[in-house]
Amino acid sequence: MKIQEYIASGIIESYALGLASAEEVAQIERLLPFHPQLRDALSDFEFQLELFALEHSGPPPPGVREKILDRLRELPAIRPVHRRGGQDGRKGKDSSPEYIPIEHSSTHIRVHKYWRPAFIAIFILAKILLACAIYYFIENQHAQKDIRQLQEKLIKTGGSTTEPGQ
Amino acid sequence: MEKTITKDILKSKLYSGEQPATELLYSRYGGMLFSYILQFVPERGEAEDLLVNIFSSLGTRLQEACDSNLSIYCWLQVEARKIILEYTHKQGNGDNGQGKAYYFLLLEEASPEHQWVFRELFLYGRKKEELAVQVDKDPAYIGGLLRECLLIIRKKLG
Repeated sequence: MKIQEYIASGIIESYALGLASAEEVAQIERLLPFHPQLRDALSDFEFQLELFALEHSGPPPPGVREKILDRLRELPAIRPVHRRGGQDGRKGKDSSPEYIPIEHSSTHIRVHKYWRPAFIAIFILAKILLACAIYYFIENQHAQKDIRQLQEKLIKTGGSTTEPGQ
Repeated sequence: MEKTITKDILKSKLYSGEQPATELLYSRYGGMLFSYILQFVPERGEAEDLLVNIFSSLGTRLQEACDSNLSIYCWLQVEARKIILEYTHKQGNGDNGQGKAYYFLLLEEASPEHQWVFRELFLYGRKKEELAVQVDKDPAYIGGLLRECLLIIRKKLG
């Protein structure tokens, strides 16, 4: 394909004005990375369009800016970030990261819902172990006390049995 | 010409969030896009609502603008036209006086047939095939007329 003929076919204008068919869009997007002339022709036409729009622009209606910002505030803060599709010459030169870093102020974390029963089971198990620990601690205290009492009793009885033999 | 918004400028703004990026675009292109909308929808109240819809919906898709082969302004125009056509098709708007301003100023010297083709395709979003059936011609004939319109526009702009 002769690129000058392609440019002269009006494809650049059609593409920049949104009049190109899906096939034409796919074709020009495939060719753009390989043909600097095509990119230059597109940039030139885009510049002329913007200049024309600037010459024919008027002040936007008052209050519209606030309405737009209000609408944007109503939308959820986090949205999926579009990843780059096909790579072309322009995109290839671009080395900026694919993801937009999102600043967040929340102190909460979110985990998978499967963790919920696991957390409940761990909580119940911890309670059972705590109850067991308290029970056996008290049992141990009682046992210690019984041992001391028995030892005291043994000492007393031992003392009384040796007295008559003296 | 005032400084245009490049993709690098837009990306750097996007890091701060959608609102600052949209504010930047609006401050630069709000007036330009409003005049663009008026060629499709001459009633100012309707055009104002569309301007709000366009910026608030495109404000969440600015990464697409950065990834596009088109410049930021052309991307805005193309995406805005899709939203406008969706709206006018829902409203069932027919010929209500459009086609006398904006890009049509560049086609004043073109034949009525050329102007009709450009108006139907660009302003009303009709297909070449539909127009071909309407005038009992081949779609290539309509494509040829459109091509001539686009070359006139390019010549006038340049």
